[in-house]
Amino acid sequence: MERIRIAGVGFLNAAPLLAGLGDDPEVDLFVGSPAEVTRRFAEGEADVALLPVAAAIQLGDLELLDLGISSAGPVRSVVVVAERPVASIERLVLDASSRTSVVLARLELAARGCPALAHPTPALPPDEAVALASGATGALVIGDPALAVEHRFPHVLDLAQSFRERTGHPFVFAAWAARPGAFDARTLDRLRTAAKKGLAERRAIAEAWALERKLPAEGYVRYLEESIHYELGPAERAGLLRFAEDGARAGLLPRATLRFVGETAPAKPSVDAILDRVVAGERLSFHEAMRLHDEADLFSLGLAADAVRRRKNPPDVVTYIVDRNVNYTNVCTTSCKFCAFYRPVGHEDGYVLSREQLGAKLQEVVDAGGVQILLQGGLNPALRIEWYEDLFRWMKGTYGLGLHALSPEEILHLAALESLPVRTVLDRLHAAGLDSVPGGGAEILVDRVRKNVAKAKCTSEEWLSVMRTAHRMGLRSSATMMYGTTDRAEDRVLHLLKVRDLQDETGGFTAFFCWDFQYERGTRIAPGDHGTVLYLRTQALARLLLDNVDHVGASWVTQGPEVGQLALRFGADDWGSVMFEENVVSSAGTTFRMNAARIEDVVHAAGYRVTRRNVRYDHLDEPH
Amino acid sequence: MKSARFDEIAAKVRAGERLSEDDGLALFVEPDLLSLGALANEVREQRHGDRAYFNRNVRLEVTNVCVASCRFCSFAKLEEGHPDAVTMTVAQALENLRGKIDPAALPTEVHVVNGLHAGLPFSYYEDLLSALRAEWPTIHRKCFTAVEIVFFAQHYGMTVDAVFDRLIAAGLESLPGGGAEIFHPDVRARIAPDKASADEWLDVHRRAHARGMFTNATMLYGHIETYAHRVDHLLRLRALQDEAIAKNHPARIQAFIPLAFHPDGNGMKQLPGTTGIDDLRTLAVSRLMLDNVDHLKAYWVSSTPKVAQIGLAFGADDVDGTIVSETIYGAAGKKAPEGLTVDDLTRLIREAGRVPVERDTLYRVVQEHPRAAPEATVKLRDRRQGRHLQVLDEV
Repeated sequence: MERIRIAGVGFLNAAPLLAGLGDDPEVDLFVGSPAEVTRRFAEGEADVALLPVAAAIQLGDLELLDLGISSAGPVRSVVVVAERPVASIERLVLDASSRTSVVLARLELAARGCPALAHPTPALPPDEAVALASGATGALVIGDPALAVEHRFPHVLDLAQSFRERTGHPFVFAAWAARPGAFDARTLDRLRTAAKKGLAERRAIAEAWALERKLPAEGYVRYLEESIHYELGPAERAGLLRFAEDGARAGLLPRATLRFVGETAPAKPSVDAILDRVVAGERLSFHEAMRLHDEADLFSLGLAADAVRRRKNPPDVVTYIVDRNVNYTNVCTTSCKFCAFYRPVGHEDGYVLSREQLGAKLQEVVDAGGVQILLQGGLNPALRIEWYEDLFRWMKGTYGLGLHALSPEEILHLAALESLPVRTVLDRLHAAGLDSVPGGGAEILVDRVRKNVAKAKCTSEEWLSVMRTAHRMGLRSSATMMYGTTDRAEDRVLHLLKVRDLQDETGGFTAFFCWDFQYERGTRIAPGDHGTVLYLRTQALARLLLDNVDHVGASWVTQGPEVGQLALRFGADDWGSVMFEENVVSSAGTTFRMNAARIEDVVHAAGYRVTRRNVRYDHLDEPH
Repeated sequence: MKSARFDEIAAKVRAGERLSEDDGLALFVEPDLLSLGALANEVREQRHGDRAYFNRNVRLEVTNVCVASCRFCSFAKLEEGHPDAVTMTVAQALENLRGKIDPAALPTEVHVVNGLHAGLPFSYYEDLLSALRAEWPTIHRKCFTAVEIVFFAQHYGMTVDAVFDRLIAAGLESLPGGGAEIFHPDVRARIAPDKASADEWLDVHRRAHARGMFTNATMLYGHIETYAHRVDHLLRLRALQDEAIAKNHPARIQAFIPLAFHPDGNGMKQLPGTTGIDDLRTLAVSRLMLDNVDHLKAYWVSSTPKVAQIGLAFGADDVDGTIVSETIYGAAGKKAPEGLTVDDLTRLIREAGRVPVERDTLYRVVQEHPRAAPEATVKLRDRRQGRHLQVLDEV
């Protein structure tokens, strides 16, 4: 018999629900942070998970069990701490662990008239978040760290209590969740037995917990026995629905399609109804996005994406940037199977561009009225951080062009090579002239897929965390997705959700670009889902899902100018770059190049006015 | 945003009413490209469901020497003796085809079109046809555009019917659709002044239909013509087809093929070429206007395979065939590859969400291919079971 894969949260408050599961030979139990539990469940690595309710709503079409974690009063473990009254804080530092608390914090603070927290500071580890909480800055702290810090701040807003006072309902933080049908008798029996045992042993669990941390036990006993409620009855369900409703109204959550085990599934909305709602500004859940992927016809998707694009950007204007892609080295240690550009260390065709070669290229950009260099290369262990710092200073000092440089993979490589934190690497490069970070190397932000095509590359979480750090420093970046290797539709939608989640935190992504893997020559992997129809559908779906990203670019370099023109009707409002040169995609056999005059002709012919932009998407001339 | 006029036209289409010249013009300027495409797709799916046709064909161009001086042409070299002029003997032509044909997987069609060569005897063409028939009796011979047929009649002093009598006796089986360009005299006089007129072209096809020979029809768009000229072109073809139907001719136009003008290396190289949007719009309007023509082809050689895929959603139900090699668009700077394999074509069609059907020249089914590749079937099943993400597919 297959083992039941269960993912549970490692906080004290969840321990009673997990009692004995770890010893059950039929159960494969994973315990981790709410974010990791969510990731595992979303990516199919767990059958059942104690899911934060916001995550359950984001995924959509799940069944919930009447067992979870809720509170009808103060919960003490989900708090905003501050040195001044919480309603008067101006910035909120987020704890990285849970989206549910983040949404709750934003709802409760907004309800208290707190200055709009549209751009909360990107999530940090709890101790860093707490360290930043001073003056006008508050910190959202959840889980066990919250219990440890509540007495250190004069002002503590207990979010569950706030919710209770505002709505009259208890607040549900998490519940056992599974895909429809996955709660079979065997699984239900395991979960109910564990809860029964765990609830009876709450005192012992709390005492053991406190003993391990050499803390007085009584507070923790009260916390488990009084603050937290584990049975989700009608009152809790009403609270859950209210939270979902408020979150959807604030644009923070998709419309919920949750139901409890035993309840009949509500009638499925039609695809047209889903499209109407997203055009009207509602968020899509994973489940809804999958339905659009599978069921919506090409034209409905395109029309909806076009409607969103018209709402977000001037309807008749297409932007482009005059910049140059410079690949400073092709020596690389990762050997990704989809790449035809790289050469291993020591290969006779390996190169590093000299100052003379770079200078000639940069001068051409200046002469062409260009505004930026997009500098990317392989992971070349011979190039140390000082090399980049010197290079950046020289480039900025001599040519004054914007420096859009080094994808997360390259930054992580430098951090590892120099044994420095990512933040330090970014700080040093920023000081030397780095302006923004390109979004390359994201491929598909699902590790199963990444492992298949690029074993040596960073994990999804590492990629996202470099972007989080860069955004926190005020560096903007683009986001990309290269699909068409071993990814499935589910992977592509999860990728888009991960981008959307990070964008909720940081607001740092300027634009999104996607393209399919170009397999013609020199790559070592068979193509998966492909074709121009899928390209247009994927781009349209991205425009619909990424409701918090301003711009979507057409990838004419891979799709060709004709499809690029059509992409402008499927959600894109940007034509990307003129491309003096591009070596990576062209190594795989796809070469579409255009100068500025040709771009303007092509965009005009597609029926739009055109304007040049910089990396922040400011218009540099009048649309014409 | 969709125009009010578009809604009227859509209502007519859905009621099965025929579209007028004005309707056609309105569709060419309709701002909402996607609603236009969706309407054309409705008609396409009514006729053909999810099927998309292709064939296994080879092309042969025996001479690029041509007395005509069409301004859009990068292929013809006008005179014998020009350094790039090529004229094959019948033996050379066969040799050329042997190089393209895999005897283990014979194609179903050979498509032959040529320059108008004044120095060859008429028997050359008869010899060519009978040699093709002798060597590959099962390969359908779709040869000579109406422009060539008119040239044969004039040059060799015969009636069109007499030309047909002799060519059919030698092995001709159907006519390709080339040479139509733009019918309207205002345009035709400027881009193709010295070859068959519109009426002559239409007359050849009319006579072919009357004697049971199926034909195709094309339109070369995206140069100096206006939308009005395109609509006029479509209406002339629609009238020709009406006539074939009314007179109960044993054959008619099978497929309409819009051909995008490519500007490299010809007398109109200052023009920009077509846009992807125009290519798809032209397909969609053609599907809606030509209510009496069964098939609409998104010819991948002209539009590139990438655009042809999308064309299968904008009204087209056919992408043409394997081709193997082609020199006419090749001379005009096409971006498409030389030839496609059956695997390429079935993949192209499946990726467009359609079901590949191999047809012969007369649209009889040669082979129905499965709706989806086996791995995609597995994927769908896995998804229904909610286990999709566990299946590791190391390639």
